Amino acid sequence: MDENRGNVPTKEIRVEVIGPEPPCARCQAARKAVEKAAEKLKQSGVMVKVEKANIMSKEIVQKYGVLFSPAIAINGTVKIMGRVPNPGEVEKLLEEAAK
Amino acid sequence: MEEKAKRTVRASVILAFVIIVIGLLINSRIQAYSLAPTSTPIELRGYPLWAIPIVYLYDYFSHGWICLLFAFTIAGIIYEFVPKEAITKYMGSSKVLGYGLALGMAPFLTVCSCTMVPLFGGVLYAGAGIGPAISFLLMAPAANILSILLTGELISWELAGVRIIASVTVALVAGIVISKTPWGKAVEKEHQVDSLASAAKVEIAKPPLDERLWSALKFGGYLAKQILPFFIMGLIAVGYLEAFLPEEIIKEYLTGVGGVLLASVLGGPLYTPTLVEIVLGRGIWVKEGVILSKGALLSWLMGQPYDIANALAVSRIVRWKVVLTYILIAWAGSVTFGLLYGVLSGSL
Repeated sequence: MDENRGNVPTKEIRVEVIGPEPPCARCQAARKAVEKAAEKLKQSGVMVKVEKANIMSKEIVQKYGVLFSPAIAINGTVKIMGRVPNPGEVEKLLEEAAK
Repeated sequence: MEEKAKRTVRASVILAFVIIVIGLLINSRIQAYSLAPTSTPIELRGYPLWAIPIVYLYDYFSHGWICLLFAFTIAGIIYEFVPKEAITKYMGSSKVLGYGLALGMAPFLTVCSCTMVPLFGGVLYAGAGIGPAISFLLMAPAANILSILLTGELISWELAGVRIIASVTVALVAGIVISKTPWGKAVEKEHQVDSLASAAKVEIAKPPLDERLWSALKFGGYLAKQILPFFIMGLIAVGYLEAFLPEEIIKEYLTGVGGVLLASVLGGPLYTPTLVEIVLGRGIWVKEGVILSKGALLSWLMGQPYDIANALAVSRIVRWKVVLTYILIAWAGSVTFGLLYGVLSGSL
């Protein structure tokens, strides 16, 4: 019953950092913020899987439509678009998603 | 509660800063002092060669810092608060709306080409098609807040206004023409996504005001970091141009119909999306406050939509034929508007 202290994470959050290929400076900054937040959440037992997605791929356009880069999607929903968030903000969004 | 108070204070401090920046610009208007460099060629020639850039840069920044600070701050604020998700939502919905948004909103989105090109791709793939995509691509660098502000401050507001009108027309014509060509249609067909997800999965999280304001200033700073190094190099070149490029040569080659043609051809390759074309244009055509040829200067400024770096990035998505078509239309547009404006304003 003690999910929070268990070694086996109960949920995995999937984060896509969406930007052009090759990545631009702001997309790399966004990715770093996400990774920092993910690292922090890992310590409280929430698994976060960070992926890079190509903003110009048909698959992404089909899924999300037109986007400003960098965009960050959490569990398949774009939450941040066209700006670099700070790690704290991403952390909050991830915590929400983990609930 | 304390957290809330902290946020309010932070937001107020940033807002106060923005208001001061706006106030500084308004004040400079009321005092009516020039934000542009005031050195004359004769003065500049009086300095040793190595000192000319220093003198010119000092001359520029001692006035121009207000304008630059204002431009980057406002560009950051507008970019942050413009409803991006509404734009992206409707840009893919219909052709008419796509054109409207491309022309109406592009100016407010001061973005670097690494944002421009994905947006171009998105609009192309997601439904509005190649026409609005091309319009957007041509419009955004030609008439964004930064370039219009600097054209207005450094050259003249009349020219800035004409530049907007000319850019809108050229962008619209290029978009419509390309969407009618067989090769444009082919690209559109190839890239069109068959079915968009019925409900776009976009729910933008809105951070508190203080964070948004801070993020706006940070974006302004980022733009400044990207642009200013080129801008300063441009100013150094202009310092020498002002000192040593004889007015007779400009009058001989860079005015009149031939001047428009030459300016329109030179404007493209020399263009870097960094506002340099504005300082260079000023250095060449504006002598002691008088524009030698408004027509040629407009053509020069309009050369920017067909800069090479952008064309290369875009050619990876669409074929060269499309790129060549829009370059040709942009060039024809810059010549037409240059001549038209030159004749109408009596300054060809």
